[in-house]
Amino acid sequence: MTAVLQILFDALSLGSLYALGALGIALIFGVMRLVNFAHGDYISFSIFALLWPTTAATTILFLGQVPPAVLIPFVILIGAGVSVLSEILVFRRLRDANPATLMIASFALGFVIKNLLLMLYSSRPKSLSILPGLAQQVEIGGARIPLLQVVTVAATIVILIALTAFLKRTRFGLEMRAAAQDFTMARMLGVRANRVILLAFAISGMLAGAIGLAIVVQTGTADINMGLSVMLVAFIATVIGGLGSLYGAVVAGFLIGGASVLMQVILPLDARPFRDAFVYALVIVVLLWRPQGLFAPRTAKQRV
Amino acid sequence: MQTTRRAALFGAAAIVSAAMPAIAEEEDIVIGFAVAESGFMQAYDEPATQAALIRIEEINEEGGLLGRQIVPVFADTKSDRAEGARAGLEVIEAGADMVVVSCDYDFGAPAALMAEAQNKISFFLCAESVRAGIQGVGPHSFSASVLAAVQGATMAEWAHEELGATTFYVLEDTWTEYNKGICDGFNWRAPQIEGVEIVGRDTFVNDDASIAAQITRIRNLPEPPDAIMLCSMMPGVVSAVRQIRNAGIEVPILNGSGVDGSYWMDAVPSLSEFYIPVQGSVYGDDPNPAVEEFNVRFEERFGARPSSQYAYPGYVMVDLWAKAVERAGTTDAAAVVEELEKMDEEPTLFGPRTFTSELHHQNRARYHIVKVTDGEPAVVDSWTIDEPIPLEVLLQ
Repeated sequence: MTAVLQILFDALSLGSLYALGALGIALIFGVMRLVNFAHGDYISFSIFALLWPTTAATTILFLGQVPPAVLIPFVILIGAGVSVLSEILVFRRLRDANPATLMIASFALGFVIKNLLLMLYSSRPKSLSILPGLAQQVEIGGARIPLLQVVTVAATIVILIALTAFLKRTRFGLEMRAAAQDFTMARMLGVRANRVILLAFAISGMLAGAIGLAIVVQTGTADINMGLSVMLVAFIATVIGGLGSLYGAVVAGFLIGGASVLMQVILPLDARPFRDAFVYALVIVVLLWRPQGLFAPRTAKQRV
Repeated sequence: MQTTRRAALFGAAAIVSAAMPAIAEEEDIVIGFAVAESGFMQAYDEPATQAALIRIEEINEEGGLLGRQIVPVFADTKSDRAEGARAGLEVIEAGADMVVVSCDYDFGAPAALMAEAQNKISFFLCAESVRAGIQGVGPHSFSASVLAAVQGATMAEWAHEELGATTFYVLEDTWTEYNKGICDGFNWRAPQIEGVEIVGRDTFVNDDASIAAQITRIRNLPEPPDAIMLCSMMPGVVSAVRQIRNAGIEVPILNGSGVDGSYWMDAVPSLSEFYIPVQGSVYGDDPNPAVEEFNVRFEERFGARPSSQYAYPGYVMVDLWAKAVERAGTTDAAAVVEELEKMDEEPTLFGPRTFTSELHHQNRARYHIVKVTDGEPAVVDSWTIDEPIPLEVLLQ
């Protein structure tokens, strides 16, 4: 029982990261059919903003010393800021471009952000211990769970509830859902496109900042590629969740996190190095079974 | 008109020589550095390159090599494999008698292969895979560092002898050949030691956001192991150590040299019982005072002390190559290779080095053992493994 609880928390906390990442990607895809491959670099950027730029091996905290009540909103705002800026400076200019162009632009943007960090901070990973209080263990039903896992899962649930309330109960949320359903129709009905898109970028960036925080508290390391693996899994989650479905992205994020932890637990030692191959084999099976994804929105179907 | 043309020619020549300030004179000996001066590998290539420059300057001050000055020339690989081959060619065209290539096998191999094709000696700055040498490049290729497997074997022997460890848990990061090499060495040596038992194994990948499942497995062992052999490298190793310690697992953790340096230890507050092998100490406490003198010289020359032991192989490399050239009386590759292969326990500032016609790498070396206590690393012992790692273990 204790072991099951432990595995459940391992799975939920990893799934939370993937779910938040998938949500960030799905939000943007929903409003402008852009798969934003720079999302992972927003994650790294929001964390590196805490560090003083130096290519020396040692880390100099810039804003990392401030209390959590300031630190957390700061990182999240940086995430939102870089995301909004990228919409204003890059994607807004490509509004009429086709999705392939947008995707390539997002790759290029990610490349620029990554190389900017490389230039300022070098490729050496930077070590930092922020929010050390979260490293403690708590006992839940006999299992010793790191407080960070509990906080990550709880924060994810709060974020999901808040976002759902925002999307369902506010005018902005309604506009956003309408835009995700049928962007052209929404515009014709008076939804202001740029505002909705900007908002989507802001929320997506905030999620990137939150993921960055969770990763850095977990690993104690800021690395220019730190967002990459989460971004990749998150992208896959949005695909198997059904591109355009926010709900699907979140569920698929948790599913992949769960599958990954489960594989680590059940695979024999010799097969464990190939854990990710097994996880992605499952992904392929899901896509063969439902090519449109698990929860494809009705509007995503081809209307030919 | 005549003057104008001559002036133009002169101007062009001036521009060319300004663009290549390091272009060597006929009688100089040239060491070509086809290493990363930008991009991802730069942070890893730079310290060893700087240490190599210090040895070059020392030799020049002492009157040079074969009475000639050594001139370094550089070409940036930009941390790109295709650019690496071009950089290799560039330094060869600039007259390199020896080609120094990037620290990592994958990044250094393109330039090393270029050198090999021209029958030039190449030296990997600090690659620790057996392929960085004869096996992966060819008979003119060498590595300046020590094989990763030696690090794993050293930790197995030392932890058993000095920590009294008999039960080990092996946690392998499957990301790179380097990590695999550490574990290969450990897995070869540990079972040979009487009374040693490996009570469990697991794997993870360097960029795993969480190794919670692996930690749960360690915690579920009936008895905690005497030590955890962690085969990992930056940046994932920091995350792994932090997560292991945060989970309340306080047993000794052993790793390879890849985590040397105190710069990452902020991530694991008051880290203790953490052990690694190093070729020399950057912490000011090397048993050989000449190493500390080197650290001071390094700081005077480049503004900061070496951040990890990975600066040292650069110094060893120039030292050994220059000795071989001196003995051969020529920079001719075949003669120098022959002299290098004669080196048996050749003393260097960072321990004895041996090359043979089968292996241009160290399958046995003296290591200092660094112990981290409360976030403070310090040398506590020195260790040389009983017997060299057999080639078949390295090639498996």
